[in-house]
Amino acid sequence: MTDSDQLHPYVEWIIREARRPVISEPEARDRVMAAIHAEPVPRRQGVWQRILAPRVFSLSPVTGTLLAAGLVGIGVLAGVFTSNGGGRSAVEQPPVAVVPRQRPASDTVVKFVISLPRAQQVSLVGDFNDWDVAKTPMIRSAHGGLWTVTVPLSAGRHVYAFVVDGSSWVADPSAPFAPDDGFGHANSVKIVGRGSSL
Amino acid sequence: MSDDAADVQRVLAGDVDAYAALVDRYYDRCARFAVRMLGNRDDAEDALQATFLRAYRALNRYQERDRFSAWLYRILVNQCRSVAARRAHRERVFVREEAVLLNTPDRTPVWSGEDEEFVQRVLTELDPLLREAFLLKYIEELSYEEMSALTGVGVSALKMRVKRACDRLRERWERIKHD
Amino acid sequence: MRSRRLPMTPLVVRRAAAMTLRAAVLALCAATTLRAQDTEPDRLAKLDPNCRLTIQILIDSAEAAGLPARALRSIALEGVSKKADCKAIISADRQELALLRIARSTLGGVDAEELTAAAAVLRAGAKPPQLEKFRVRQKGRSDLQAFTIWADLIWRGVPSEDASSAITKLWEDGADDATFVSLWNNVQSDILRGLNPGTALQNRIRETPGRPPASKGPPEGQQENERSE
Repeated sequence: MTDSDQLHPYVEWIIREARRPVISEPEARDRVMAAIHAEPVPRRQGVWQRILAPRVFSLSPVTGTLLAAGLVGIGVLAGVFTSNGGGRSAVEQPPVAVVPRQRPASDTVVKFVISLPRAQQVSLVGDFNDWDVAKTPMIRSAHGGLWTVTVPLSAGRHVYAFVVDGSSWVADPSAPFAPDDGFGHANSVKIVGRGSSL
Repeated sequence: MSDDAADVQRVLAGDVDAYAALVDRYYDRCARFAVRMLGNRDDAEDALQATFLRAYRALNRYQERDRFSAWLYRILVNQCRSVAARRAHRERVFVREEAVLLNTPDRTPVWSGEDEEFVQRVLTELDPLLREAFLLKYIEELSYEEMSALTGVGVSALKMRVKRACDRLRERWERIKHD
Repeated sequence: MRSRRLPMTPLVVRRAAAMTLRAAVLALCAATTLRAQDTEPDRLAKLDPNCRLTIQILIDSAEAAGLPARALRSIALEGVSKKADCKAIISADRQELALLRIARSTLGGVDAEELTAAAAVLRAGAKPPQLEKFRVRQKGRSDLQAFTIWADLIWRGVPSEDASSAITKLWEDGADDATFVSLWNNVQSDILRGLNPGTALQNRIRETPGRPPASKGPPEGQQENERSE
């Protein structure tokens, strides 16, 4: 790195990656040369042309700064005498704060039920609770082996499953399958609409 | 006399093929800037073609005391700006992913391909002026004075742009970390 | 014609060096940017740093492409809960990203839910051209239910072509959510009774009227089976 500024590691990583060479096809260069061959050959400039050619003057940084400062000074004075303050210079936007998502009032409360008479413990997991087995334990009914829980769900499509006794993943037999995501096990889908839910 | 200057002299003397040496020497490096700046190879090739053509036409105005690369880059930066201004938004179909889906032997992850595409996307999200300054500073590794000569923008403005680019990238990391 | 040719520089960085760098990046980032914004710890942090970074990059790729990044995050968390290995999680996210892209290039600008549902249809085994009929957006109609049933039918063993033409035909005939649900209920129970899935679908399709959404839909009292109740 040429600058002494401490760069954030992520930025350094981006730089490292972006510095990788880009290999172009030889055909691309061939196309350039084909176009070049169709052009008239550039000729060396004659003496007079060189004298009359526009020149780029480069200023030393100090001279440049003084000149710029002078111009800015004139500009500021002009501004004071003319406008009521002019436009604000572009200010850097403050970073957007990350706000934890609140549950909207429009969530629908949905009841999940599964019959598992021999289970000791059943949890509901899904995209609405980060698939966390600890978050939504289900409650066993007094008799009959039915496990239930109600959760608020936003409108749309939700994928879920039941975890039995901490380790067995079970799809909902009363719901459509969501194809296996790649972990060897299909989940279930619930569509929550404005009025009805499957 | 540098290789570049010698090649320029040869072209001006009538040896057109000597220009191929200059193209060979600078094409890939210019391609890297153009791809990173424009975000895709098609546009980059347009810009590169235009750059080398313009450089060729202006070769008689190239002065030996200038570094050829700096001179060429000034043209390149301007051509990239022109291409960016001209192009319409195009939807890109990612053919690679379709191949993954349809053929699907379980590939081991190819890190580099994924990285390059990701980094390119991240860069493309930066405002063009910030991106240009960031690339010239950190990818082309130019000094601020060289960048100023190339772009016509003042050094302090360029420093500000580079800083803002870095800030944006840092903010992006913060965002994705906290989803 | 050309006098000199420059050596070609390889594009691939040595894996070990690259992975070490990534691990360092992640460790440094974690150390310098830890914030207590969310009260819950990030469950993805349990993963190996390289794995975490790859997944984060995939999630970010989705976001950068305007695709539902949440779907990838959800799949990664599912993998964590299932104690899947890193390779499987990355592969799952990669595939989801690919499917979402294809879904979008087929369907155009639809919302995140529809994209995810369409990706599931592709995941089940449908081919992208089969989704094209759904490209035309119809006001007031959601294809979530249609896509869900479609993916399920293929998953249960209905041949992809049959499922595709059945769902598409119903959709084009104006079938509402209740019709799709009813179809699914019937086909599912037939399959459970031992009927071949393709046959079950064919039978039930024949008896399912597709009707244009002339009125509000089925009267209040008549509901789909509330199987969750």
